[in-house]
Amino acid sequence: MKQVLEGSQAVAEAVRLSRVTVISAYPITPQTHIVEYLSDYVADGTLKASYLKVESEHSALASLVGAASCGVRTFTASSSQGLALMHEILHWASGARLPIVMAEVNRALAPGWNIWADQLDSLAQRDTGWIQLYCEHSQEVLDTVFLAYRLAEAVSLPVMVIMDAFFLSHTYEPVDLPEQKLVDRFLPAFEPKFQIDTADPVALSPLVTPDFYMEMRHNTAKAMEESILQLAEIEEDFSNIFGRYYGPVEPFLCDDAEIIMVTSGTMTGTARQVIQDLREKGEKVGLLKIKLFRPFPTEIIRKILGSAKKVAIIDRNFSFGAGGIFAQEVRAAMCNLPDCPWIFGYIAGLGGRDVTTDLLEDIYWRTKKSDVLSGESIWMGLQEEDHAVERS
Amino acid sequence: MTEKKKTSKVTPLFFARSYLSTESNKTGSWRFLRPRYEEKTAPCSVACPAGEDIGRIEMLTNQGMFKEAWETILRENPFPGVCGSVCYHPCEGACNRGEFDRAVAINAIERFLADTACKNELKPLLTKLPAKKEKIAVVGGGPSGLAAAYFLTLLGYNCDVFEATAEPGGVLRWGIPHYRLPLPVLERDISLIKDQGVQIKTGVHISKEFLKEIEKNYNGVFIGCGYSHSRKLEIPGEDLEGIEDGHAFLNRIRHGERPRLDGLYVIIGGGNTAIDVARSVVRLGGTPLIAYRRRRQDMPAFPDEIELALDEGVTLKELVIPVSVVPDKGDYVLTLHHMNITGEDDKGRALVEPDGSKIEEIRVKNVFKAIGEEPAESWCNPPHGGEGIVTLNNSVVDCRTESAAIVFGGDLTNEIKSVVHAVASGKEAAIALDILFREGLDAVEPEIGDCLVGNGSFCSMEIYMKRPRFDRSSHVVSYSEINADYFYLSQRITQPRLLREERLATFDEVNLKISASLAIRETERCFNCGLCNQCDNCYLFCPDLAIVRDKTPQGRHINYDYCKGCGLCVVECPRNAMVLVEETNEASTGRESSGS
Repeated sequence: MKQVLEGSQAVAEAVRLSRVTVISAYPITPQTHIVEYLSDYVADGTLKASYLKVESEHSALASLVGAASCGVRTFTASSSQGLALMHEILHWASGARLPIVMAEVNRALAPGWNIWADQLDSLAQRDTGWIQLYCEHSQEVLDTVFLAYRLAEAVSLPVMVIMDAFFLSHTYEPVDLPEQKLVDRFLPAFEPKFQIDTADPVALSPLVTPDFYMEMRHNTAKAMEESILQLAEIEEDFSNIFGRYYGPVEPFLCDDAEIIMVTSGTMTGTARQVIQDLREKGEKVGLLKIKLFRPFPTEIIRKILGSAKKVAIIDRNFSFGAGGIFAQEVRAAMCNLPDCPWIFGYIAGLGGRDVTTDLLEDIYWRTKKSDVLSGESIWMGLQEEDHAVERS
Repeated sequence: MTEKKKTSKVTPLFFARSYLSTESNKTGSWRFLRPRYEEKTAPCSVACPAGEDIGRIEMLTNQGMFKEAWETILRENPFPGVCGSVCYHPCEGACNRGEFDRAVAINAIERFLADTACKNELKPLLTKLPAKKEKIAVVGGGPSGLAAAYFLTLLGYNCDVFEATAEPGGVLRWGIPHYRLPLPVLERDISLIKDQGVQIKTGVHISKEFLKEIEKNYNGVFIGCGYSHSRKLEIPGEDLEGIEDGHAFLNRIRHGERPRLDGLYVIIGGGNTAIDVARSVVRLGGTPLIAYRRRRQDMPAFPDEIELALDEGVTLKELVIPVSVVPDKGDYVLTLHHMNITGEDDKGRALVEPDGSKIEEIRVKNVFKAIGEEPAESWCNPPHGGEGIVTLNNSVVDCRTESAAIVFGGDLTNEIKSVVHAVASGKEAAIALDILFREGLDAVEPEIGDCLVGNGSFCSMEIYMKRPRFDRSSHVVSYSEINADYFYLSQRITQPRLLREERLATFDEVNLKISASLAIRETERCFNCGLCNQCDNCYLFCPDLAIVRDKTPQGRHINYDYCKGCGLCVVECPRNAMVLVEETNEASTGRESSGS
């Protein structure tokens, strides 16, 4: 049934429909609405789950490590500083192979104190062993929660469902809210591959010597790799039931494109409009939306971008001393490809600044007109630094 | 119903888990510090002349074990009712809680327990040692004599008390007004002492000859005749008809006299007797004025008593001494000489001298003398040192005569003349006699030293009898050793009292009873310094699960196979009932599996 839902509520509804058993979270803007909705559901009995009120994000995730070890479906949500505080336990959750699902609302890191959209918080956690899925709109974020549980439980790895602050978390959009019956069909009760059992005591996560540590890491690496194929199969199931499909990446008008713009998150919606406008003007331009960031779908991306002449990657994030993170990853993916397209990295929209159609169009024309390839990031829309602002 | 298809293979999990028990890792071998349960000494119990186990009394009260709490008092003090009423409670001054918010209302709890025992007609279960052959005579049926007889009886001695007046109790009976100590409360404590087997002979003429007589028939004599004689002012007119001694006045009132007073009455003195007289004058309709030679803060009277007296309308005139009393048309003219402060003595009391010729005359209805007391007869005084004499903190043992050992106690030997000091004296004398009979005079001083509470100067019967209190460390717990994070600020109970208007009209007891729920709430505030109340923090905090519950009185022990000596248990013990000591080579083998 179609409803107009806030992005945060779409996540909460999906968690409810996923029949999560334990929720543990610490509120932080812009994630707060998600956990507020959920605590309401738990309080009024709509969702039969334990909601743990904890004193920090570190404890929020640590308590889910315990709960998930007991073999139940778990959920948390965080953002920015909160996610940074979870860092240690992020590694623990993946290393312990626990299928925890987290909604991560992309928000800039301080200082300067900023609560708006910026992807650096989640991208800074790219090496923690979590699967990362970046969403474009409310329907996608709702559907991706279901996909996340199926995927997490299939490969025994935790999954982050990632959404932009405010542009997605606080925006109301029409969303098709599925019936419980259908969700149950797609996402049956969790059958843990292991769980704590007092009748058969086991020490979890004990000391592991160099004799076994590498094998365990390799085992996790294989699970990461296998999750690409798993996700494809799960999405097939999903589209059979719900009639919607997203894919790890989504090419839009890429087949004959000479220049392909690469986006993630909510700016993709804006980019779709720009691509269509440019197409009407006769430009051979396409768009590649990257949804699955970890594992990075290298093969698919090489295939799609390989035929283009130029690629323009727009990053709403920046790794100091390196560049836009999606740009780095795409460059690495395209490495050693014969006739590799020229790859340009653009930085835009940090700290919640709007990425407009004009700005994206500007990026297109800059890319088209460039006759020199530079590896340097191009910061879009920078104003002249006004030091007087510091005192005002 | 599921459409989940597992078409592609998922690699089986290979992750960190172990089915080996961690018990193989004896973390106790890492230890270089060793925690252990060690109960310590609470400062209140050190300050209490009766050496009451106050921390435990409060704990038992808090647990609703009122009888056990009452018995715990009785093991050290036969006067819970009296002390619950009139003790000046030095314990509260030493209470560590005073550094946190306010001291625990220990005195009110003691009275509550005495009242509860009375209301339920409880019979105490006290440990009495096997009968001894020696017989003891106690001369003087006041608080020290009764206490000595009580403790001697518990130690197995046959004891006779000889009292000059018609009834036992001494100053408690004839000196303390009813509004502070109602007679039934005193009677209750005395009957409890009698129940232990103490024989009290009243109306006995006590003299030097009488003493010689009983020395022949008894192996030991305790002399606790008290200070029954008021000191003279040594001024003209003090012996005039009508000028009364404060004690005599109080005694009259105790016997039921209620003279109607009107006008100004001056009480000379600054002790508790002066206060008692003044407050009695208020109740009889007179206007009392206390004339004291020094300042209020120098008065020997207990501060609480002074406070209540002033509240009831007593006026205090500081820095004056009486010069003369002259009769004048049915009244008296009292001449006072003003004093100047010239300095302070080593106890901080003002040193005074007359201020030139600054004289003041007051027309008064009467003058009461209350500048202190002394023994009625000189033979009651203890000897001052010498061969065969042992001077203890609260009593003096005299073994110079062949026939019987004599111990002097009570007000005769105590610097502070209070009921609870009298108890201390009687107890110390009883223990001294027991040591004397068993091991001789030389053993008295060192053995008395072994049964002092903490670093104080008062004995504990329980420590002397080597009961569980003996095992505690004598270390006195300070506030800094309490983990105050485990306690909340909470208001001390307000002692309910008669309204001032009610007090002024009657001799009814000023302090009202408190309920069991108030007593439980108040004792919750007690830190129980150095005592384990089974809170289980050690068990909860031990990261090695090395605290093992058992059925010992401690309720738990430390498994040193796994205790790695981190000391968390010791730090998290709210009450400092544990200690962390350096591991010795002998103990570091980690084989020992049970705690102390």
